[in-house]
Amino acid sequence: MKLNKVLSVVALSLISLFAACDKIESDNYLVFSGASGEWYDGNGVADKSQRAFLDKFTGIRCVNCPTADEAIHAAMEQYGDKLIAVAIHDSSTFGMPVEGFDLRTEDGNTWRNTLRGSGGLPAALVMRDGDIFTPTSGIQAKVDPILAQSPVVAISVESQLSDRTANIGINLEFLQTCNDNLNLTVFIMEDGIIGQQFQPDGSHKSDYVHNHVLRDVITDVWGAEVDADGQAGTKRFCNIKHTIEQNNWNLSNCKVVAFISNRSTKAILNVAECEL
Amino acid sequence: MKKLILTLAAVAMAFGMMAQNVKTVPENVDVKTLDGKTVQTSVIKNDGKPIILSFWATWCKPCNKELDAISEVYEDWQAETGVKLIAVSIDDVKSSARVKPWVNGKGWEYDVYLDANQEFKRAMNVVNVPHTFVINGKGEVVWEHTSYVDGSEAELFEVVKKAMEAASEAE
Amino acid sequence: MLIAALVAFGLTSKAQNVLGGGQVSGNIQLDGQISRADSLIGSENVPEKLLMNARADILYTNGNFSAGLRFEAYQNPMLGFNAAYKGQGIANYFAAYNGEKLGITAGNFYDQFGNGMILRAYEDRYLGLDNSIRGFNVKYRPIEGITLKGVIGQQRVYWDYGQGIVRGLDGEINLNSVIKPFAESKTRITLGAGFVSKYEADETVPSSVPGYKLNIPQNVGAASVRMDLSHGGWGLQAEYARKGQDPNVLNDYIYHEGEALFLSASYSQKGFSANVQAKRVDNMGFKSVRSQSGEMLYINYIPAITKQHTYAFLTLYPYATQNTGEMGLTGDVMYKIKKGTVLGGKYGTDIHFNASWIAALDTTTIGGRGTEGYTATYFGTGDAYYADATVEVAKKFSSKHKLVATYGYVLFNPIVEGHAGDMHHNHVFIADYTWKINKKNVLRLEAELLESDSKYTPEVDDKRCGDWIMGLVEYNFTSNFFACFSDQYCYRDGNGANYPQLSVGYTHNATRLQLGYGKQREGIICIGGVCRQVPASNGLTFSLTHSF
Repeated sequence: MKLNKVLSVVALSLISLFAACDKIESDNYLVFSGASGEWYDGNGVADKSQRAFLDKFTGIRCVNCPTADEAIHAAMEQYGDKLIAVAIHDSSTFGMPVEGFDLRTEDGNTWRNTLRGSGGLPAALVMRDGDIFTPTSGIQAKVDPILAQSPVVAISVESQLSDRTANIGINLEFLQTCNDNLNLTVFIMEDGIIGQQFQPDGSHKSDYVHNHVLRDVITDVWGAEVDADGQAGTKRFCNIKHTIEQNNWNLSNCKVVAFISNRSTKAILNVAECEL
Repeated sequence: MKKLILTLAAVAMAFGMMAQNVKTVPENVDVKTLDGKTVQTSVIKNDGKPIILSFWATWCKPCNKELDAISEVYEDWQAETGVKLIAVSIDDVKSSARVKPWVNGKGWEYDVYLDANQEFKRAMNVVNVPHTFVINGKGEVVWEHTSYVDGSEAELFEVVKKAMEAASEAE
Repeated sequence: MLIAALVAFGLTSKAQNVLGGGQVSGNIQLDGQISRADSLIGSENVPEKLLMNARADILYTNGNFSAGLRFEAYQNPMLGFNAAYKGQGIANYFAAYNGEKLGITAGNFYDQFGNGMILRAYEDRYLGLDNSIRGFNVKYRPIEGITLKGVIGQQRVYWDYGQGIVRGLDGEINLNSVIKPFAESKTRITLGAGFVSKYEADETVPSSVPGYKLNIPQNVGAASVRMDLSHGGWGLQAEYARKGQDPNVLNDYIYHEGEALFLSASYSQKGFSANVQAKRVDNMGFKSVRSQSGEMLYINYIPAITKQHTYAFLTLYPYATQNTGEMGLTGDVMYKIKKGTVLGGKYGTDIHFNASWIAALDTTTIGGRGTEGYTATYFGTGDAYYADATVEVAKKFSSKHKLVATYGYVLFNPIVEGHAGDMHHNHVFIADYTWKINKKNVLRLEAELLESDSKYTPEVDDKRCGDWIMGLVEYNFTSNFFACFSDQYCYRDGNGANYPQLSVGYTHNATRLQLGYGKQREGIICIGGVCRQVPASNGLTFSLTHSF
C-alpha cells in the first residue's frame, strides 16, 4: 500500500517535470531577430529562374472577366510556377460590392490608378512594362519574351507563420550588374475566395471561386528601397515581420508574393511567391 | 547575505567552543554497497569492538598496498581484537564499476562501501587517500593517518590493540 | 533566511544535545609555489613570485544536524587554475538536517543521480573544479530500500553562480528490500530513474542566417533509467540517458538531442576478476549556462571509461571524454597465480591486464549552428580517439623484495586535446621495485621508458617529445617521512625537456607537509604513500594538509 503511494508520487512528479522541457520543431530553430525591413548580406538564391508577373484588373460586376480568368488560368497551368498573377479588383463601378461581397483594397486602387489607364475591364499588364491588353488572349505573346531573358536579379521568398504574425524572408542575388534604383514590394493574396461574380451570360453567380486576389501590400505600396550596390554576385537579404489584423482571411489559402521593380519606371525585374 | 554567513560562522564557532573534541562517524550519510544498494553510514558498527575505517581507491597504489598487506594478516587481527575493517572506495564513476570485481578478485574480506560522489569523504574531512581512521567501541575516532608505506600496518595494529585495551579497561 | 531557520530548527530540536556539545571538525589545505619561467615545460614567469591556494573546511555536527562552511583564498591562483579564482572569501556554506528518513540540506551541496550522467555536482580541489549547487536538496527514505531525492539551485562558477536553475528528481529502489520473498535471493537488483531540467532565460544567439537568431529552448530536460544487477560473482550495471534539445557552446548550438549509454559487466571470484565496460555518448554536454565553455558549470558528468593509470608515462597522453560524441569499450582482467606453483612462487603472482578503445561516432553532417547538426548511426564508428593495452605483473620475491613490471601500449589522437596532429603510437616499459630494508626503512625505485613515433612540434604542443626516460628513487622512514628524487628526460626526437624533481614530506597522523623543488608535470603523483593530482610547476612547491 505504502509502496504504491510512494511510486505514484514519484511517477506524478516525473511526469510534471517532463512537462518542463521545451521541444522546438525543426522549421522553428531560427527566429527573426533583426529590425523588420533591414537589409543584410545574404546566402544567395538557389532557384535563379526568371519568372513573369501579371496584374489582372477585374471586377465582380464585370461580365467578361470570367473569360479572362479562364485564359489566365490556362496560361498558369502552362507555365507552372514561372507565371505569377494577381487579381486587382477595380474601384470603378464594375468592382462595386454585391450583397456586401467586396474584394476591393486601398492598395489595389493605388496600383490601378497608376497602371490601368482609362481602358475597360478586363485588363492586364505583364511585368508592369509595355502596354495594357485584354487578357482573354495573347498572354503567351507577352510572357514568352520575358521568360526568354536571362535574369538580372534572382529572388526567393520564404514565410513562417506563427499565430497571426508572418516572418517573411527575401533573398536577392544579382546575376548581372544593375545600376538602377530598385524597390522590393511584398504583398499577400488569397486563393479560393467564394462569392459573387457576374457571368458572360448576365447571370449572377454567388459561388464563384476567386483566385489570387490581392489582399494587402505589406511594404510601401510601390515597394521599399533595396539596399544593395547592384554589382553582379551581390547577395542581399531582408526580413519583414507582419502581423495580420484582418480576421476574414483564410490564412491557409494565402500566398506571399515578392517582386523587385525599377524605382522610377516601376517595371518588374523578377518575382517569387510562397505560402504564407 | 554576508551578515547571514557571519552569523552562521559565529554560531558554528560558539558551538565549537562548547563542542567536545571527539570526532565520531556521522550516522546518516548515504553510501552504496557493492550490490548497488544505498545504505547509510549508521551501518558502520562493530558491537563495541574497534573499527578500521579506510578510505581508498582502485587507482591508488599505496591504498592497495595497505589493504593487501592487512588482508594477509586480517584473520589474526580479528581473532586477537575483534576488529573490523571497513573500506570506503572513493572511486568515482570513472572506476566505481570496477570496485566490486576488484575487491572480490583481491579476496579482501572487508566490508566495502562506495562513496562515488565523496559525501562521506567530505563528512570525515579526508583530503587525500589513503586515509585511515581507528574508531573505538564507543564510535569515537581515536587515531587517524594519511599515507601508507610498506610495513606501516604494524603501527596501525598497535593503535587497534590500544583501542581494544582501553575499551576493556573502561568496562 | 532559510538557512538561519534551518540552523534554528537544528538547534532547538537538538537543544538537549547542544548543551552536551556536538563536534567541530574540519580540514585545512595550503598549496603554494614559487615559480620560475620555463618555456620548455610551459610554466610562465610569475610577477608575484609566490602563488598560493588555500582552503579550510569547518564542519559542525550535532546529532542529525550539521552546518559547515568553506573559506578559500587564491592569492594568486596557482598555475593551472583559472584566474577567475583570484580572491578570497567564504566560497561555500550549508546547514543540513539528516534524519533516518528525511534529509534536508540548504546551501551548497554535492550530489549525484545514478552514474552522474544527468546530474553530478562535485568538486575536485586539485583540478580547481567545483560545480556545487547552492539551493535545496531533500532526501526522503520512506521505507527501507527506497531513496527519493529532489534538488533545486544554481551552480557555482568560481566566485559566482551561473544564472541557470537546475531542478532534479531521482528515485531508486532496491527490490530485495522492498519485495519480501526476494529478500534472501542471491540475485540483487536495484533500479533507479531520474529527471533533471535546467531553466535559463532566453538570450540572443546569432545564427548563420542573416537577421535570424536561434530559437533557444529555455527549459532543457534530461532523463535516465538505470539498473544494478548482481548474482554471486556476476554483476551487470546499465544506465541509459537522454537529453532534450540543448543548443549550447559545446555543440556549437545545434538542436540534435543528446543520448548516452553505459554498460558494465563483471565476473569475479577470489583470485580472478574480469570487467567489461561499454559506452556510447552522443552530444551529452549539459551545462547550466549554455554559453559557458571550459570545465565549470557542467550539470552532468560523463566519465572516461579508460583505466585511470598512475604511472607517469602511462598518463602522459591521458584520454578525456568527448562529450560531443564517442563510443568505447574497455576491459580489465586480474588474475592471481596461486602460491606454491611454479609461476606463483612463495607469495603468488598478480597479473593485471587492461585494454581500452575509444572512437568517434559515425556521423553525417547536416549543418552548422541553428540546424539539427548531424545524424549518427548507432553502432558505426569514426576515427579512433584513443586505445591502450597494459599488462602489469606484480611479484613478491620475499618479505623484503617486490617488483611490479608493466608494459603499456597507448594510441593517442591529439584531437582529444583539441588540436590537430597525427595519431601516434607509444610503448611504455615500467619497473617498480620496492625494498623493505627493515621494519622502518623502505626504498622504492622506479624506471620508466616511453618509445613513441610522435615528433616534437613546438607550435602544437610543448610537451610533445618522441622518447622519454625516467628514474625515481624514494626513501621512506616509516609512514612519517619520505624523500624522493625523480627525473624525466626527453632523450630523443624532442626538445630535450628535463623534469628533475626533489620532494620531501612529513606525515604525522592526519597532518602532512610536503616540499618539492624542481620541475613538475601536471598529473596524478603517488609518492610518499599518498596519491594526489598536482599542477605543472617549476621552482619550489609546498603543500600542507591537516584534518581535525
